[in-house]
Amino acid sequence: MIYHSADVVVIGGGPAGLAAAISAKKSGAEHVVLLDRNSWLGGILPQCIHDGFGVEETGVSMTGPEYAEKYIEVAEKQDIVMMKETVVLQFDKKLEIIAVNKTGLHQIKASAIVLAMGCRERTRWNVMIPGDRPSGIYTAGVAQAFINLYNIMPGKNVIILGSGDVGLIMARRLKFEGANVLGVVEVLPYVSGLPRNVVQCLEDYDIPLFLNHKVICINGRERVEQVIIAQVDEKMNVIYGTEKKIGCDTLLLSLGLIPENELAKNVGIEIDSSTGGPTVNQYFETTLSGVFACGNCLQVYDTVDVLVNDAKNAGKSAAKNSVIQKKNKKVVTKVLPGRGVRYVVPQIISEPGKVHFTLRAEKPRESSVLYVIADNKELLKKRLPWANPANIIGIDIDIPSELMIRTCNLEVMLGDC
Amino acid sequence: MNNFQVAIIGGGVIGSAIARELSKYKLDVAVFEMGSDVASGTSKANSGVVHSGINSPSSSLKARFCIEGNKMFQVLANELGFPLRWVGKYVIAKNEEEVYELERLKKVGISNSVPGLKIIDRSEVKNEEPNVSCFKALWVPTAGITLPYQFTMALAENAAENNVRFFLETKVTGLKKQKNLFLIKTNNGDFQAELVVNAAGLNCMEVVSMLEKPDFQLYPCRGEYLVLDKNYSSLINSMIYPVPVKELGVLGVHISPTIEGNILLGPSAEFIDDPYDKKTTDETMKNLFQEAKEIIPSLPDKAVINAYSGIRCKLASPESGGWADYRIEESKNMPGFINLLGIESPGLTAAPAIAKEIIKMISCLIELKKKNSFKSRRHRRKRFSEMSAEEQSTLIKKDERWGRIVCRCEHVTEAEVIEALSNPIGANAISSVKYRSRAGMGRCQGGFCTQHIVRIMEEHFNIDVTDIKLKSPNSNLFYGRNRGGSK
Amino acid sequence: MIAEKNITCIVCPIGCKILVRIDGMKLEIVGGNKCKRGIEYAKNEAFDPRRMLTTSVLVNGGEWPIVSVKSSKPVPKEKLFSILKEIKRKAVNAPVKSGQTIIENVANTDISIVATKTVKNNKIF
Repeated sequence: MIYHSADVVVIGGGPAGLAAAISAKKSGAEHVVLLDRNSWLGGILPQCIHDGFGVEETGVSMTGPEYAEKYIEVAEKQDIVMMKETVVLQFDKKLEIIAVNKTGLHQIKASAIVLAMGCRERTRWNVMIPGDRPSGIYTAGVAQAFINLYNIMPGKNVIILGSGDVGLIMARRLKFEGANVLGVVEVLPYVSGLPRNVVQCLEDYDIPLFLNHKVICINGRERVEQVIIAQVDEKMNVIYGTEKKIGCDTLLLSLGLIPENELAKNVGIEIDSSTGGPTVNQYFETTLSGVFACGNCLQVYDTVDVLVNDAKNAGKSAAKNSVIQKKNKKVVTKVLPGRGVRYVVPQIISEPGKVHFTLRAEKPRESSVLYVIADNKELLKKRLPWANPANIIGIDIDIPSELMIRTCNLEVMLGDC
Repeated sequence: MNNFQVAIIGGGVIGSAIARELSKYKLDVAVFEMGSDVASGTSKANSGVVHSGINSPSSSLKARFCIEGNKMFQVLANELGFPLRWVGKYVIAKNEEEVYELERLKKVGISNSVPGLKIIDRSEVKNEEPNVSCFKALWVPTAGITLPYQFTMALAENAAENNVRFFLETKVTGLKKQKNLFLIKTNNGDFQAELVVNAAGLNCMEVVSMLEKPDFQLYPCRGEYLVLDKNYSSLINSMIYPVPVKELGVLGVHISPTIEGNILLGPSAEFIDDPYDKKTTDETMKNLFQEAKEIIPSLPDKAVINAYSGIRCKLASPESGGWADYRIEESKNMPGFINLLGIESPGLTAAPAIAKEIIKMISCLIELKKKNSFKSRRHRRKRFSEMSAEEQSTLIKKDERWGRIVCRCEHVTEAEVIEALSNPIGANAISSVKYRSRAGMGRCQGGFCTQHIVRIMEEHFNIDVTDIKLKSPNSNLFYGRNRGGSK
Repeated sequence: MIAEKNITCIVCPIGCKILVRIDGMKLEIVGGNKCKRGIEYAKNEAFDPRRMLTTSVLVNGGEWPIVSVKSSKPVPKEKLFSILKEIKRKAVNAPVKSGQTIIENVANTDISIVATKTVKNNKIF
């Protein structure tokens, strides 16, 4: 066992982890360690070769690899210890981390930990698509890695299930590499991804979009041969008689992301089922003191700009954690997603002051009003010309100290005008 | 070499068990397996149960081989290093009427010399299984669980270590008897053997037809399974089986813990026309879940993480009740042609005993001389994830590949993936890695590890990307390279 | 010739479907836009639709087999596939630095293809 100690240990070297580590260093943490399971840093960004990253942050639209390199360069200059090809096996309530890499087993005693493990993709069996079990079924991210990192083509005649941005981007990528993209199948009556991507990835290449459809069977003894799709009603039940057989050799699944929190669960950190990530306060601290969370493992973000901004704050909090005294946190305000809102982060407010919230609408709507109510007082009322579950809504609220006198709930709602 | 003394057609659990037994003798043995690995068919797609023997009528071969096989399992597990847990089984009765069935099963069990059987009432069951609802139950302590694919691979690999030749992706396309030799035509060349053992499972009738007219019919019966997330592993401790449904003569929906900590629901039973139709269906998956929920009311809806199906090789039609005994016999018209027909449940349990029986039959046909050099113990190491910190550190110092984790969900290292791909039977599909090392069987279902396994296959084993298969000869993963043509 | 078509505006996430009427070089906004920005977008999109191109180029001797690239500016839509064809034929030797020009004036345009990733030499021992 190789023993270390550090002020802040960041688990995950994607954009969230990098931003948090840099921010922790800049905020005064002396010894910052960053761990990542891959031989490269940047997480998923090196395979996201399309542009659109960093527009809000820098005004320039970068590709994923460029965005990653920007942060890696800064991190390297900051003298952050970066351990690549290193996997955290576990950490305990004393914040002792056990990690492994080719030099051996490492025990790292941390004063603060920042969780930045990102997400995994939803699989075929998470949604229980019946049929055979052939090769040729890929989640969009895995297909993307093979094409963009390894120069390997997963298939030729492709059906994409799920109209989220990853699926749309892959439709275009596959088309560019000579595949026959036969269509994108989406169970909802609307596309989950951004309109920009519908134009640039589907309409530009006449790729058919099957809204209100789902894949009801996969056929193929050894390799995918055919999928059967069918229309669904408002309750997402199959409408019999609308079945359509589509011959193909590849099924790409773009069914959404699941925050990766096994490490947190194993140590008893509370997970919010509506976000899939840890319950945190405005400092991004989880229910285990000294453990912070940021990035996609906290909530699935829509742009890297918003993600990195939150991650910087999480890193700052982690650095301060090893310096400030822990105040009495007995009185907390719980933040609840109300009518029209799928989730809100943070879920806990432990101190008065300015708090930045990120939330998502439950379904697309035009002209809504966002209400934030606590203890029967309206803290915020904001008109929104539109709201879409695909886009995170960010708001800033000054939490008054009177609110923190006794435990109460703060509710965020989306209603009609 | 193309000439063998014994040719076994089929590398499932039966063929592999026979191969291992034969490898104890000075014989040239070949196994022809049409899949890309052993246990490609029914042998990997079952419940993994080591049955006690209470389910088969006392005078049957099924009962005899099940009980004999059951007794052999622990020694085999110690020698070959495959996982085995004696979790026991509760056969549960919902009401007074079903208790008669429990008593009948107990009687059958006793006459089959199954030890430790006792009928207990619901409060005793509740003590051990707080989540299970029932009226009374029959406790069967000698029932166990194993990983059927690892059991088969252990048998096959030990046989290979003892010089049995395995020909993978080799399908027997023709058989001819010429004097005292069998001429075997395959897609990978022609072979000769003195004896042919037909352990081809669902293909057993096709193989018989190559030499003579079959005097039987096959009735493939599909069983679908649901796999539950490990988070729910504490729902049950032992296997929970409702009283068998009489109509079909098949086992009902079972709830079994698995070696890896998942819960298995199933199998269902559906007679199908196409013996290779291993689809899982929406209707059956829903029914399985509903039936399981009746036994364990607290079963949460989102618990399912995987589904698969296996096909039973039945010799009896649904109209006749669906029950038939094993047929293990030398062909009357073709001496030297030994057929194993209708090997369905308790086939896994019976395999070691059936193998011994085949040896007996073969010893009457050719002289068997024991090998002094037989290696009975298979080299098996603990998985990295099961080792102590000290063991892990020591290994990493010796070989840094033990420190590179390839499968994040199950903590499988690069060294273990390389070990899996270095197996003595030459299997190198993605599933060969999956079933030996567990990489790819976790929550992300290969989302992270697949690219690393592919990299290892290319760099360490010089497998071209276009040759990488998922699990069978035509289940290629990739179309080719986008730039620069193939390597 | 007067042609009518729908253009989906991509300036903001609403994605208004703007109906335009094109008469030679004249564009008339029939309707559908919720704000002024849509008009500007529709004009550009109707007469000279361009897209940023991102893809990859073969690398010789690098730690990665390919390097991701982008067009230095948006390319005319109708030239997209001929540009892709030219890029597919190209190979570059490691090391490659992010920002390095891989192809100048691709497909007879004033657009270059630029690396977006740094690829070091493959360690050979």
